[in-house]
Amino acid sequence: MKPIIRTMLIMTLTAVIAGCSGQYKGMPREEVLSYQTNATYGGLHTLAVAYAESINAAIKEDTLHPGMYADYGVTLALMGHRDAACRMFNAEVRAFPESRGMVWRIKQHLLPDMMGDTLAISGDTADIGQLMSWAYDSLTALRPLPQVAPVVDSSDTAWLRKQTPVDSIPIEIRLTANQKRELLAEQQMAAEKARQAYADSVANAKQAKIDARKQAKVEKEKAKKLKEKEKAKANKQKKRLEKQKQKERKKQAAEKQKEQKRIAAEKQKQKEQEALDKQRRREQETAERKAQREQEAAEKKAQREQEAAQRKAQRQQKGGTEE
Amino acid sequence: MKNKLWIVLLPLLFVSCRGEKKMAQYSEVYQERPATIYIAPLVDHSERRAVRTIEDSLYNASVNIATKQLFLTASDPLVFNGYYVPGPLASAQLAATESRTVKQLRNENINDYYTELGIDAILFITVNKWSSTHNSWTVEVEYALRSARTGSEVMHAVVKATKMLHSDFKGKPKPLGADLDFAAKYGCDLETAQRCRLVETLNQFVLKDLPSGSRARPVSIERYVPTHAEYFNMQINPDGSVMVVPDDEEL
Repeated sequence: MKPIIRTMLIMTLTAVIAGCSGQYKGMPREEVLSYQTNATYGGLHTLAVAYAESINAAIKEDTLHPGMYADYGVTLALMGHRDAACRMFNAEVRAFPESRGMVWRIKQHLLPDMMGDTLAISGDTADIGQLMSWAYDSLTALRPLPQVAPVVDSSDTAWLRKQTPVDSIPIEIRLTANQKRELLAEQQMAAEKARQAYADSVANAKQAKIDARKQAKVEKEKAKKLKEKEKAKANKQKKRLEKQKQKERKKQAAEKQKEQKRIAAEKQKQKEQEALDKQRRREQETAERKAQREQEAAEKKAQREQEAAQRKAQRQQKGGTEE
Repeated sequence: MKNKLWIVLLPLLFVSCRGEKKMAQYSEVYQERPATIYIAPLVDHSERRAVRTIEDSLYNASVNIATKQLFLTASDPLVFNGYYVPGPLASAQLAATESRTVKQLRNENINDYYTELGIDAILFITVNKWSSTHNSWTVEVEYALRSARTGSEVMHAVVKATKMLHSDFKGKPKPLGADLDFAAKYGCDLETAQRCRLVETLNQFVLKDLPSGSRARPVSIERYVPTHAEYFNMQINPDGSVMVVPDDEEL
């Protein structure tokens, strides 16, 4: 049973180590995020302190996040600690020679009068390369510090100045009473400025809102007018169309009437013709009937005459025989 | 017998813990290995809500913080892989000295970054959209890594990442301990913490497979290899596991 448990424990441990190898805690991200969300002088000071502490911790753990010195240098430069900032930029170039160009550009931007105090772009590269050979050998960015750093005495921060690869890192900014007062005054001024800026921004936002409302009103009116115009235009068009339709309807009605009249006239003509034909037929018939009657009368007369002649002849014959 | 078991189990364990290597996905990067990567100022195309209620302003603030966190944590996987990445404040100063816009940097000649600043590549991050449902947060991000030496694009990924929220058997949202820790550490609300952790995971996932060992880069290799953009969706489950689905499939 025991070997199985041991095996399982070792496996779990290995899995945990393998799983954790991806995690890295270097940059003071909370402070950076906080500063980026709300950039104030106090935030910058907090950020600088956090960077200093992170560098401290990184040196103790023999790991160094790239860009840490440069970022710390930027915070120091923004706070006005120009010498310390310059030293930090140089430390970045020493630790990470590939950052030379970038550091040069940042120094040009932030500390243009201190460009002379920068590690040469060329010339001392080989020395730096030899000195920082550890940086080249590392496959990860968790670069170990050179083994020249002796055991750390955690009781005092002075060891940093002596034993780190950088000449001196102002980890803690020790201030005199005057400097403290100045810093406080600066902070108060910055706070006042921030308050003023906030008030201005609120006022601007209000004004912008009012302007936007006005603009929206004007645009609404414009849109309304445009709509009305369009409506009027559409009405006109409608009326025109209606008139046209009415005309067409009238035209059609007139044509229909004409057609009806024509048809009625034709019918009348036909009727008249029919009546005429009827009369003619009647006249013809009466004439025919008259002629027939006359012929019949003539025939009857001829028949009567013939019968009378026959009767006369018979009578004459009868008279002859009697005699 | 025991020895044989060890021989079988140990390599398996190491292989499983190492995670997947995507040689095919980032093959173009291997042609030209940049040692110094500068992360250009983040481009945010995502829309914010019109502020009508306090929830809208809280949502906007949360998205703003998560977007900042996306920029800040992008350097982590790169640094872990051996690249020199200037810090956020130094990057801001470098950006302040630049007169060109990010769009111009993306499309125009950036060889001066290599010759003057010693930067080998610039990473462009664009946030396209933030969206949410009752049980998930989604962000659509585009990553592009452009070589300052040759001007070629050596990596391009368009990702839609969704973080599924944990809920109990009644369907009520149940925050994870890690999210609560993050919220306590950063002093932010839970939604912001969940979004921040989403973008952190996204950065880790997309940028973890860039080739390690910057010192071993073959400087002589200068080849132009165009990269085709990759589109994929990823889903971060409540247990922390990541599921990747090609873009044409629905999650």
